[in-house]
Amino acid sequence: MRLLSWWARRLLSAVLTLFVVSVLIFAASRLMPGGFAEVVLGPFAGPDQRAAVSAKYGLDQSLVVQYGLWLAAAVKGDLGTSLLSGEPVAGEFLLRIPVTVELTVLGIAAAVLIGIPLGVYTAVRAGQRGGGALGRLAGGLGVSVPEFVLGSLVVFVFSRYALGLTVGGYRPLGEDVGANLRSMVLPAAVLSVFAIAVTARTTRDAVLNVLVEPYITASVARGEAPLAIIRRHVLRNASIPILVVLTTITAYLLGGAVIIENLFNLPGVGSYVVQAVGRRDYAVVQAGVLLAAAVFVVLTMLADATSGVLDPRLGKAVR
Amino acid sequence: MTTWRRLDPLSRTGLVCLVVLVLAALAGSVFGLGGNPDGIVGSRLAPPSWQWPLGTDQLGRSMLPRVLEGIGTTLLLSTLAVLVTASLSTVLGIVAGYRGGWLAELVLRMVDVLYSFPTIVLAILVAAVLGPGQAATLCSIVLVTIPLMTRLVRTAAMTVSERDYITSAVISGVGWWRILARHVLPNVSGTIAVQGTYALSVGILVEGGLSFLGFGVQPPESSLGVLIQQGGIYLLAAPWLLAFPGVVLVVAILAINVFGDGLRDRLEPRESRSLV
Amino acid sequence: MRIRRSLAVLAALPLAACAAQAPPEPTAPDRPGYLAVADRALPRGGTLELQLPVDTGAASGLDPQLADVATSWELMSLVYETLVTVGPGFEPRPGLATSWETPSPTEYVFHLRAGVTFSNGRAMTPSDVVGSMHRLLAGKGVWRTQIGPVESVTAAGPDTVRFTLSRPYTPFLSALANTPTAVLPMTEIENGSLDVTRTMLGTGPFVATFHRQDVLWRFKRHDGYWAEGKPGVDGVNIAIVPQDPTRIASLQNNSAGLAVLGNVDAPQVLAGVRGVRVRAQSTTDFYYLMLNSNAPGGKFADERVRTAINIAMDRAQIAKIATNGLGKPTGVTPVDLPDACDPATLPSATAGLDRARRLLNEAGAEHLKFSITAYATEPAPAIAQVIQQNLARVGIEVTIEQLDEGSWAGKVYGTAPAGFDAALSWFAGYAGAGMVAKWWNPEAAGFNIGFMKPNPDLNRVLDSATSQPDGPGRAPALRELCTSVDRDAQMIPLVTRPVIVGYRADSVSPTVYATEGYGNAFRDVADYRLSSRP
Repeated sequence: MRLLSWWARRLLSAVLTLFVVSVLIFAASRLMPGGFAEVVLGPFAGPDQRAAVSAKYGLDQSLVVQYGLWLAAAVKGDLGTSLLSGEPVAGEFLLRIPVTVELTVLGIAAAVLIGIPLGVYTAVRAGQRGGGALGRLAGGLGVSVPEFVLGSLVVFVFSRYALGLTVGGYRPLGEDVGANLRSMVLPAAVLSVFAIAVTARTTRDAVLNVLVEPYITASVARGEAPLAIIRRHVLRNASIPILVVLTTITAYLLGGAVIIENLFNLPGVGSYVVQAVGRRDYAVVQAGVLLAAAVFVVLTMLADATSGVLDPRLGKAVR
Repeated sequence: MTTWRRLDPLSRTGLVCLVVLVLAALAGSVFGLGGNPDGIVGSRLAPPSWQWPLGTDQLGRSMLPRVLEGIGTTLLLSTLAVLVTASLSTVLGIVAGYRGGWLAELVLRMVDVLYSFPTIVLAILVAAVLGPGQAATLCSIVLVTIPLMTRLVRTAAMTVSERDYITSAVISGVGWWRILARHVLPNVSGTIAVQGTYALSVGILVEGGLSFLGFGVQPPESSLGVLIQQGGIYLLAAPWLLAFPGVVLVVAILAINVFGDGLRDRLEPRESRSLV
Repeated sequence: MRIRRSLAVLAALPLAACAAQAPPEPTAPDRPGYLAVADRALPRGGTLELQLPVDTGAASGLDPQLADVATSWELMSLVYETLVTVGPGFEPRPGLATSWETPSPTEYVFHLRAGVTFSNGRAMTPSDVVGSMHRLLAGKGVWRTQIGPVESVTAAGPDTVRFTLSRPYTPFLSALANTPTAVLPMTEIENGSLDVTRTMLGTGPFVATFHRQDVLWRFKRHDGYWAEGKPGVDGVNIAIVPQDPTRIASLQNNSAGLAVLGNVDAPQVLAGVRGVRVRAQSTTDFYYLMLNSNAPGGKFADERVRTAINIAMDRAQIAKIATNGLGKPTGVTPVDLPDACDPATLPSATAGLDRARRLLNEAGAEHLKFSITAYATEPAPAIAQVIQQNLARVGIEVTIEQLDEGSWAGKVYGTAPAGFDAALSWFAGYAGAGMVAKWWNPEAAGFNIGFMKPNPDLNRVLDSATSQPDGPGRAPALRELCTSVDRDAQMIPLVTRPVIVGYRADSVSPTVYATEGYGNAFRDVADYRLSSRP
């Protein structure tokens, strides 16, 4: 019963969050100076042409009415029509979401498989000379190299010395798995450097916090093997900050890795929305942000629920 | 001075690097080291020489004053933004984490709303609405970095608030302000320091990303993000365009990070332990 | 016209083929007027991989008559063809018309090519030509203005079409050579079986089979194409790749056969990459500075202030620094066109900085401050920064406002009177001197009425220049036009816009003009051959 009411409240606040986001993004898209008419019609269009396009897309109605119509349609799954291409926005998103999801999965996989073990390792060795400093330096370097610097380097190096990998020739996963992977490995690798470094640092931090707990001292005193202690006590108790950071990275990546998509010419969600901002393609901007927000809200809800299961103390606080 | 002595060598190196960078930026902006950063003085893309110690850029401007100016702009913008973020996040996070209830719910929802905007899209929207420039960049960095920091501070404060010593302080009638200041704040300061360093690197990334898309600082002013973005394409033809600002940027973030780590290890009342 | 989305298309000139680090040096072309000529000895077939920085994209869809940006003309020209085209020296050449006569200065009679079919198999008829022209003249496309004073278009026989003008219009044939005057399948349009805004159906060498906005175009050969031996390839894919480094990388790793590059240093950047050749194409397109006569505070209402700014700008330095020497100073008649004026002899070029200072002083504007609104696509910000340094020499303080596409367009075109100070953009320069100058009449152009005051003297000079027939009188008439525009100084021509074409010489053999008028780097794509097929 309590669990049910927890979910009900979370659901309510999720809907509320999305509602506020929808208002904000609608307002922001109309507050941007310049309009679609100058961009999509070009400077030669006369007032009558502008009026015709405004009427076609309902942009001549009051903002409140426009917002209401958009929200009503969006709730039913109709995300509107791109002013630029005249095509439904949903169709283009469906083509682009797999690209973004694949990048995200690869990035998160790297963070989990490499970042967490790295973080644990540097944490348990933190007391020792040398090892700690080296780990910190490596981790620091990982978060210190911006993706547009690393990305530029990788694009140049691998376009000259291909090594079987491709730069810029994206192929859908369903079309050719090998070609797809060859085109995704490099952007995923660039993205994962940051993801790994952040995950490793958070893990180290969390593990250090757990290591000073009395029950660890007790376990050590009992003579349990270090690996067993890590598995049985440390990871479980350090899991919440790690979960938070992984959720954040996932949401960040699903929101679209704009710079990496641009550099490697991947037709993902992020570059689509950013381009639409520049062109004032309102339907695309609104739909893109709302979709990203929905994904984020769902992810956080799941993460919070998991936290409650992992740590009953926190679960209580969440409730 | 005591902080200095208590820092480990790596963190001290980080601090020294930061001080050197700040001094370099000052040397450029106050003493005009390297000359006018905007003046077209030489031939395009000239390699480093006695006359142009860091070479010239694609408009024939000396890179030395431009890099110095870039350091100043980037550090100033990011630091200001992160200070704003840190202050706001600390208040919001501790209040939400310690007090809980509807207040926490309100803070969390506000944060969630911000958080659920995709990073670069949020930054670009802010820049598009406010008009490009430093104010928009600052505002973008704050809005982008505030959600994560607030959440993590809250998580840390929540964990702390469950501790026995807090419970006993509450029982012995210590005022909640005092509890926050004496017990909660020190225990979340590590999180703030560490997250502050991440926020700083995110801030520099946002600045660079905005510059990349033309929303950042306005030409001819330089920032490390602008210089790197413009230099990227000359990786092989004129490597000095990317190399100097790139190295400086990486060193700056790295220095901030290791210093933040060292600070954290000192601030958090905890001994480290080795399992192996 | 200038191009918003095509803001991105840019680029440059010569090209060092294999000599690493060698300064760019124009290689002797096999044929004058060409940067490259396709090797017809190579076998036909294969699929060409091209890359462009921007896609077509407008509310008007794919209707060529409404296309007003160069990228749209470029992409649509794979499918649509015109009666005449232009050669490398801007001379009219046969297209869908094999020949033409000019019985009088106001009459043009075209003889249509036999055996031309649309890609649905239907033969082209004179009524397609007549119907297309009527549709163009009745429509709202910008090219309606450029085509000149066409009074009537009639079929004069089974393969003959007659155009009658109301007065002589010298650039008529040049204007006919651009995609908006393409011959459309009028039967299908009129019976409603074709929505020309969504589907392209033309007589050209290729047929569009796939388009995903801002991602990819796929074309396949038009099997019934009229030209013997063309097209040289079976298919063309055009990927839209906005980032310059990515297009450069695609050339390096051979995933693109040919790409239009933006960075003016691309020749140096790609120097030494085996198999890659970079050629800088000159164009008639040029950058210009708008000085808003309605600017806040009346900053530029005084012609003396505008003239001072015009004098203080150093076009040679702009060309050298901001375009790597690939662009050229120009007057309003694009400098590479026949009979164009010499920009070095214009009043603003021969006056000195002292005169600029004196003019500012007389106008009471010694401490003038203003901002230049530019968009972020290079080299526009570079040009703005050179101008900023130029104007500092006479005590003018310029700030640069670099905006995204939407904000820029909104600020410059969104309101009348416009609220900006100065703005930077470029015009496509077209294929006839004096064509683009039409936009200096704001009442005819429309888009600039918010920031430009009509100048009756300039309009008169403009009219006489466009009706001045070819011959010894044309150069002086165009020179007067340049001078008039230079004095007016509301839209100040600066330097031409280079376009850099990079290609894999080890797999693609293209034909590329040395100078292009309609922003169509792929003009001869039907000629291209592949030497090795991926």
